[in-house]
Amino acid sequence: MCVGLSARVVKVEEGTALIDAGGAKREVSAGVLDDLEPGDYVMVHAGVAIAKIASDDADEADTVMEELL
Amino acid sequence: MNDSMKRAREIITSYAGRPLRIMEVCGTHTHEIFRLGIRRLLPEQIELISGPGCPVCVTAVGFIDEAIWLALEKGCIICTFGDLIRVPGTEMSLAGARAKGADIRPVYSPLDAVALAKENPDRQVVFLAVGFETTTPAACLAAKQAREANLRNFSLLTANKTMPNAYQALVGAADAFLYPGHVNAITGNATCIRLCEEQGVSGVVAGFTASELLTALAVTVRLLSTSKEPFFRNCYPRVVKDEGNLAAQRIMAEVMEPCDSEWRGLGLIPQSGMKLRAEFADYDARLKYAMPVITGKPNPACRCGDVLQGKIRPCDCKVFGKVCTPMHPVGACMVSDEGACAAYYQYS
Repeated sequence: MCVGLSARVVKVEEGTALIDAGGAKREVSAGVLDDLEPGDYVMVHAGVAIAKIASDDADEADTVMEELL
Repeated sequence: MNDSMKRAREIITSYAGRPLRIMEVCGTHTHEIFRLGIRRLLPEQIELISGPGCPVCVTAVGFIDEAIWLALEKGCIICTFGDLIRVPGTEMSLAGARAKGADIRPVYSPLDAVALAKENPDRQVVFLAVGFETTTPAACLAAKQAREANLRNFSLLTANKTMPNAYQALVGAADAFLYPGHVNAITGNATCIRLCEEQGVSGVVAGFTASELLTALAVTVRLLSTSKEPFFRNCYPRVVKDEGNLAAQRIMAEVMEPCDSEWRGLGLIPQSGMKLRAEFADYDARLKYAMPVITGKPNPACRCGDVLQGKIRPCDCKVFGKVCTPMHPVGACMVSDEGACAAYYQYS
């Protein structure tokens, strides 16, 4: 249900984003994300960018663990 | 491995308290936890059980039969996520139908099916819309695109599902849930917070990398052993916001509406599905083709239903690994990469 592909936005045009996922490029829908800009990182699912990615997972782990301990 | 991951790993491996049952609701979590070797870290007091969050696994047998009817009786091109192709229907799978001449095409996105319809104006194209809140916005975008282009040769066969009422059906199945990160990326956290506050259901939202899964499990184990109150934590904040994706929520509400839905193994769960609104009736394959009521008959030997509810492990099913293998699946959980049976078979 949750297979996602993290990718960098290369270009945004008329509701479509060209993304780069580890060198593989593909057009996906930007129809449910406002204000996407080149350079943003997004989570892509079934051909749609569904969320912006705010940081890398190591930083996230640091934050989550600091709150826990 | 950084300090946070080391700490998370230590919390998990050193746990020596009461037995804990943690349900990974999402099939991708099941797969990644196996693949990354995280299960090998778990002390015997911590049991991970798989939940119903693999859309292919919970898709009812009758849905496959409906798709085959459209393919063989109506001659439609069936576009589908690849996982569905080998899921057994009552008499055959979509792969079996293809062997009988049906035109079955795997696609990555519902939007690819719209493009295919545009390229083939003389053929009828039906997209098999399965999936949870993560995937439903893509199907809704496809319906909108088709209507905007006034496409008359495209429709959706819907079996989209939503999680809130499934969570209700699973209350008590585990000490805590690992909530599916990308569902919450769309829906936000309100349902999970409400479950915690009103029904005492504990859980954390988890991401999908090794770091994210380790920290989510560590948070769950630590809080289950120290917190006197039910808890909710978002351990995937780099992607999941409390409010979710409002634009995706709007488009889902515009194109689809809740309906009762049959889940393989769980039965009919009221208001746990999504169907096209009346404004999109022209794109509803069941209406467009005046489809008769088609009720599937699951193989009685298959215990996917018990697996999906965490009642048994895949290896407790009599046909697991014998009659039922990835090459010859009896049940849907052995087909999809996200299926618990497929993950157990591949990694155990």
